[in-house]
Amino acid sequence: MAALGHGKKPIVERILEPAEAGKKIEGLTRIPVRSQIANEIIGISFGFFSPVEGFMNKADVDSVVKNMRLANGVVWSIPIVFDMSDADISRYGVKLGQPVVLTFDGNPMALFEVEDIFAYDKQQMAQSIYGTTDDKHPGCARTYKYGDKFIGGKITLVNRPRINDPYGPYFITPLEMRKKFEERGWKRIVAHQTRNVPHTGHEWLMKGAWSQTYAELPIDKPLVGVLVNAIIGEKRKGDYIDEAIILTQDELRKSGYFGDHNHLTSLTFWDMRYAGPKEAIFHAALRTNLGLTHHMYGRDHAGVGTYYGAYDAHNLLAKVQNELDIVPVYSMNWLYCPHCGEVTSEGLCNHKSEWQKFSGSLIRSIVDDGVKPPRLIFRPEVFDLVMECAEKYGFGSPFVTDEYLEKRVAVFTVPPMS
Amino acid sequence: MTDGKYPINIWVNEERFAKLEKAGLSSMTKEAMAGLKVIFVYANDAQKDKLLQAYPGAKFDSATTKSIELLPRKVKDEIFDLVIQKKNIDVLDEFLKGK
Repeated sequence: MAALGHGKKPIVERILEPAEAGKKIEGLTRIPVRSQIANEIIGISFGFFSPVEGFMNKADVDSVVKNMRLANGVVWSIPIVFDMSDADISRYGVKLGQPVVLTFDGNPMALFEVEDIFAYDKQQMAQSIYGTTDDKHPGCARTYKYGDKFIGGKITLVNRPRINDPYGPYFITPLEMRKKFEERGWKRIVAHQTRNVPHTGHEWLMKGAWSQTYAELPIDKPLVGVLVNAIIGEKRKGDYIDEAIILTQDELRKSGYFGDHNHLTSLTFWDMRYAGPKEAIFHAALRTNLGLTHHMYGRDHAGVGTYYGAYDAHNLLAKVQNELDIVPVYSMNWLYCPHCGEVTSEGLCNHKSEWQKFSGSLIRSIVDDGVKPPRLIFRPEVFDLVMECAEKYGFGSPFVTDEYLEKRVAVFTVPPMS
Repeated sequence: MTDGKYPINIWVNEERFAKLEKAGLSSMTKEAMAGLKVIFVYANDAQKDKLLQAYPGAKFDSATTKSIELLPRKVKDEIFDLVIQKKNIDVLDEFLKGK
């Protein structure tokens, strides 16, 4: 039976085997792409973005912008677009009906069928997706940087990327992910979206969501898992380095705060848009494609600054819930209460005046000082690993620096075709 | 000068706490997270701007904590040493001299 993904459409990998791929791309124009596009090629071709089969044509973009749906009616919230300047279109001789080869690291990556070349109002796109046209919003800024035109058409991977250490074990495609869930006997799986090194506030968010997801299921054997799905993409200075994020998330399992029976860490390549509610819908589609049944959403999910209300994402999800195949699990914040002497939920504890809230910035400033926090707020194994990652991968810092951006080992590379 | 606007969190590990105790300054610490101690050194607007200019990797968290983050550890060590030396948290003018 086919694995069904978002919109109840079968997950189809759009990948050619090497012998066939070599023949297909012979003599075609080669166009280099930036990392955002390479990330999205992987997303499309392995089925992470199913039912999207390529970069969107105008009908799809217009429908996503105006109706939050693909032209075929399936809910979709963020345009997946391939942009080019007029000069490049002319330089590479891009023409309708003439496929081209997209290259990354100087090597062929994907076959791109050119089905549409169009302009689109970027302000209209920004307003619809981000709810603002403010160029200080990172998503708007990205949109305004797009080239003059968009090219729409199907994508087929012709050369599998090599996932570099230490990320290899965490790149699990939608079809592989389903097998992993089956092996573990999980009936329900809840997604934890992250771009962070976990403190115990995050750990308890996952534990709380696991409990909510378990609900009425029998407890005589493990039936529910948490999938940590880290978003790996464009980095900003001051973010945690990718290696620290992925390895520390898995460390929670390895050190026994979770176990093989209820926890798995994985990654998805995607440049965050910080689209808040619209990104929440995108995450629902993405995690449905990964075979998940539930999805954690906290306050201001995938937001930035003060552009979105705390519950905007929840409200938008509710509007299309009957068309989504994933159940939202809404999470309240966890905090440390000195009176209780434990990490607790703001929905449970009433010692409000004593609460010590977890803040990412606060925890980061502790890590920055090299001070080992109490295990109640940061697991010692996680802290030690953060420091190890700083030395091994971060040029002395667990946070992204100019040096890291310049010299880091790429998450994936596209090798020469064999 | 401290106008209490923008804290720099100087987290206190055992080594720093021992130095504070020796200088008779252990009461200067506040408890912030599950028993973890911290000293808040406050910057005013001018000091904040000067710090951010001198250390471009540093960041002012305008959205949530209103604190100055991502100062290099050696900078925070220097500020901490000045606190010990002056027995006072009002040390940023001195620290910023010549920066």
